[in-house]
Amino acid sequence: MSDPIYRLVYYSRNAIVGDPGKLTAEITSILAKSQANNERVGVTGALMFNSGCFAQVLEGSRLAVEEVFERIQQDDRHGEVSLLAFEPSPSRAFENWSMGFVGASVADSARYGAIVQESGFDPARMTGEALFETLHMLALEEERSAA
Amino acid sequence: MSIVENLRDIARVLHPRSAALPEMAPAVLILDEDRQVEYANTSAETLFTPVDPISCTLPALFASCGATGGDDVFVAVDAGAEPTPTRVRLSDDRLLDCTLRPLSSGGFVLSMDDVTAYVRNAELAERDVLTGLPNRKALRDRLVERLAAATRTGQATAVLYVDLDRFKAVNDTLGHAVGDALLRKVADRFNSALRDGDIVARLGGDEFAIIQVDAPQPAGATALATRLIDLIGRAYAVEGHMLHIGASVGIAISPSDGYEPDVLLKNADLALYRAKAEGRGCHRFFEQGMDQRMQDRRAMEVDLRRALAFKELQLQYQPQFDLATDTLVGFEALIRWHHSKRGIVAPADFIPLAEEIGVITAIGEWVLRTACKQAAAWPVPVSIAVNLSPVQFRGTKLLETVTSALAQSQLPAARLELEITEGALLDNTDGVLNVLNGLRDLGTAILMDDFGTGYSSLGYLQKFPFNKIKIDQCFIHDIDAHADRRAIIRAVTSLADALGMRTIAEGVETEAELSCIRDGGCNEVQGYLTGRPMSAEAVTDMLQSIAMKHAA
Repeated sequence: MSDPIYRLVYYSRNAIVGDPGKLTAEITSILAKSQANNERVGVTGALMFNSGCFAQVLEGSRLAVEEVFERIQQDDRHGEVSLLAFEPSPSRAFENWSMGFVGASVADSARYGAIVQESGFDPARMTGEALFETLHMLALEEERSAA
Repeated sequence: MSIVENLRDIARVLHPRSAALPEMAPAVLILDEDRQVEYANTSAETLFTPVDPISCTLPALFASCGATGGDDVFVAVDAGAEPTPTRVRLSDDRLLDCTLRPLSSGGFVLSMDDVTAYVRNAELAERDVLTGLPNRKALRDRLVERLAAATRTGQATAVLYVDLDRFKAVNDTLGHAVGDALLRKVADRFNSALRDGDIVARLGGDEFAIIQVDAPQPAGATALATRLIDLIGRAYAVEGHMLHIGASVGIAISPSDGYEPDVLLKNADLALYRAKAEGRGCHRFFEQGMDQRMQDRRAMEVDLRRALAFKELQLQYQPQFDLATDTLVGFEALIRWHHSKRGIVAPADFIPLAEEIGVITAIGEWVLRTACKQAAAWPVPVSIAVNLSPVQFRGTKLLETVTSALAQSQLPAARLELEITEGALLDNTDGVLNVLNGLRDLGTAILMDDFGTGYSSLGYLQKFPFNKIKIDQCFIHDIDAHADRRAIIRAVTSLADALGMRTIAEGVETEAELSCIRDGGCNEVQGYLTGRPMSAEAVTDMLQSIAMKHAA
């Protein structure tokens, strides 16, 4: 039997300073790096970003999730990381996503993030469960539109 | 002279009582005047296998097996100095201490001691086993070196002491395995925050220290402390748990805060103490005067620990009256510390320290037993109120102590009122509620002290059926001149009435105040106006006269 799956949900304040172009580049690099790292250690999940916040779901073996999260915690680009949930889960919700970016394209998020936030997406006010559901729903929508 | 003839001579140099050089365990090479190997004993042959050392020069021989550090072997001899060992590292990381001695007959003998295990052990002795960080001894050694170097360069060196906040709670509630795993992650975060040349050590428990070099001070230490407090304070995912701890930092900077390593370390610790006293999660720099204050505090601590043994503590009793009948209904026991040199020390000046150093448990037990014993002997069976510290609820003994104090004194439980502050309920509320329920089952009354100050969560009133609420004196003072205070009193008394709790107002000093709290619906009163704290003898006299009046 394989290790039980753990799911971790957090959001953080974005501490990247710069114009949308720089933001786009940084986030693209974060995504690429985390996709490579996550694939290696068997972590899946989704990242959502607007100009103010990151919200991320990580799932995988307990040790792998703990290690990936620890790397995030030591990353200067995140500020005020709030760990919303960390618990065993019966299955993966992002089976095919080494680290999916959901909600909008990276460039759009950087440019229109403020509008997204005004429209009501404020991870700071969401529970771990609600944030997970939001990301999961967006991921499913994206999978459907890609199919 | 042939090599073999030379052997006896060499053996005397190395090992006077033995000529068994070939079998000697340390590797030995003999070099001729041209510094080429002429002879290798069995250990030396094994050491350099598969290379045959004979006729090699030392640099060639060391190079052949990837060794480093071998170039200095001749330095001492060439300088005409006493032979000193040179450390050579082999490609497989074995370490050899090589000592070269000239022979009287010409040529040289080189002994090579394998010190790998010795050095590893010494390194281990400098490391904290759990986190792999340098330990206290290693930190001090590095600081000595650093300060010696800094006196030449004039550079500032900062020492930062870091204590983890709330770590003990993690260890206590989730166990050492989780605590240890957390400490390893913390060590990792320290390492990620430091720059080359900075050193972090684990001093023990949840204490760490950093030597910061090559940074402008105090800006460098401020930046590092700020970064560490943020970094350490971020959530951890450990062993399936979400954990939150914090960090407090104390900073001392050489040369302004001391040149001596031990002084600097002590001053950083003093600054840390201040950071913790000022709410934790912050950093504080050492300041002159902290030392004096610490010494004052230590002296007070020593005195306080002895106060019980020296019988310097006394109880005084302040009377409490029922406002409906204007009769004496009880006394509150108040502690006094009479120190031979300090004079009378007010409870506010020593109870916080007693709580901090844990002496409060012993003092609290003494107060309880003394009050019960004295009250049991009173000629009129009025109630006796005793204050409990939040600290007393942390142990497991409180219920046992109260039971035993009642049994020993023969005081009926119904005459004992235990006063608690909301501070007792802030941490571990469920555990405290269990103890409170146990105390109520004994038959004692439970009173909520200082009501209206602090958080004063009304939730507490719902969680536990207090018998009485004591309204804090800040609402009573000058109440006749403040309509808002009268409104608060009315609100509290009607709330208490509805919940079936009684109310007592403390700190009543004037007739006008008394009249207001009477109108406001308070059940009882206590204060300088109705009676100052008095000695146990005065209480007995007072009750005696009441008893006689009743009898008359």
